[in-house]
Amino acid sequence: MSFDLSFVWTAFVQLLGVIPITLAITVVSVVLGFIIGTAVALLRQFRVPVLSQLATAYVTFIRGTPMITHLLLIYFGLPMIIDSVSSSLGLGFNSSSIPLIGFAYLSFSITAGAYASEIVRSGLLSVDRGQIEAAYSLGMTGTKALRRIVLPQAFAASLPNISNMLIGMLHGSTLAFAVSVVEINAKAQIVASTNWKFFEAYVAAALIFWGLTIMIERLTAVAEKRFRSYNRGGVS
Amino acid sequence: MIELKQIHKSFGDNKVLSGIDLNVARGEVVAILGPSGSGKTTLLRCINYLEKPDSGHITLGDFTLDYGKHAKKDIHALRQKSAMVFQQYNLFRHKTALQNVMEGLVAVRKVAKEEARTRSVALLEKVGLGNKLDAYPNQLSGGQQQRVGIARALAMNPEVILFDEPTSALDPELVGEVLAVIRQIAEEGITMIIVTHEMGFAQEVANHVVFMDGGVIVEEGEPKQLFRYPKEERTKQFLKRITPDTAYSI
Repeated sequence: MSFDLSFVWTAFVQLLGVIPITLAITVVSVVLGFIIGTAVALLRQFRVPVLSQLATAYVTFIRGTPMITHLLLIYFGLPMIIDSVSSSLGLGFNSSSIPLIGFAYLSFSITAGAYASEIVRSGLLSVDRGQIEAAYSLGMTGTKALRRIVLPQAFAASLPNISNMLIGMLHGSTLAFAVSVVEINAKAQIVASTNWKFFEAYVAAALIFWGLTIMIERLTAVAEKRFRSYNRGGVS
Repeated sequence: MIELKQIHKSFGDNKVLSGIDLNVARGEVVAILGPSGSGKTTLLRCINYLEKPDSGHITLGDFTLDYGKHAKKDIHALRQKSAMVFQQYNLFRHKTALQNVMEGLVAVRKVAKEEARTRSVALLEKVGLGNKLDAYPNQLSGGQQQRVGIARALAMNPEVILFDEPTSALDPELVGEVLAVIRQIAEEGITMIIVTHEMGFAQEVANHVVFMDGGVIVEEGEPKQLFRYPKEERTKQFLKRITPDTAYSI
């Protein structure tokens, strides 16, 4: 068996069509993950009774179990809950009408949320206490100080970690094949199943992932320049 | 105009303020002196509610607050009556000099952006930084940052400006420019309370000097009288160690 370069190209072209699926899973899970993560980090930071303990349990459980396990737990567990609630209330809703990618969105967002909460927390910790005091001294409320002073600085400090997380979730999105979502990796397998040229197909998949990753790195470099410009020192 | 009554504050078992009474008249410049750990910075921070005293009352202008019992919104009301200039400047790092000065006006006082901008530019020009409007704090020297801090405090048009060792973090050669700005606004009749180690400056600018030690006010009075003829033994000791001659040199 020899390496079939032309099939790499054939596979590559076919894989391009499912890039939106992979990107959708990545973007949805990272965006929702950051919303969850910010809430979780704030609950823990301000030690909100009961909720902060729940938040801590969430973070330790999710970070203590693999991402594919979350997906499978959601995939098999959620329909049971939905169907029993639906039938007991007579809603006539069946879990089989949920698109498969929905499970990936949900479970990966939950996964991302736990990791994002640690990113947000480290971002919050990086903001000097004096910044908050200065905001308070002007008469700002806690929420206003958080929104106008703390979070923008925490966000800027978190950009390198956010970039890492985007890349991690991009690569993690391949796990969606476990619930029959056809993203780049699964598509490569399908493309190769006609002629058994798996190696060529996966080379094409690797190239696409590499390209997407470079794109993310470029974008975050631009964002860093934009949001962290104030860090550039030098007395002018 | 400012009246503090029986301010008590402890950090755990450590009693930092033991019943402070202090009156400040409108337009007065009060310097608070004392060794480190005497509670002078804590007292200043209590006025701005950056520390919560265990008990006591404060009257600031027409507003009175009981530290032991008050609504949450009273905290913001009290804070808006005063403005703080910090030892470490504490400028908002992600905002330019101009945005720092505008921030309180726009976000707290709800002043229209254009007006806030005009007022802020004027204040920055006043502290000699009209050419640094768009510089970020990281691009400014310590002395420049502190002058932005003073402009930010002035913008709020507070009843009193609180200075917490405004020159302690500065290189000696930059102290002068900050003191000059403080002197200038003192002459305009703005009420100020200054915690400082600059004895010469305190003697020159303040109308009233307070010496604190061990969480109480040991002695207070006019600068000339307190510096030249201190009554209390503790004050004499302190002044002997830190005389005006050495204050600028180290």
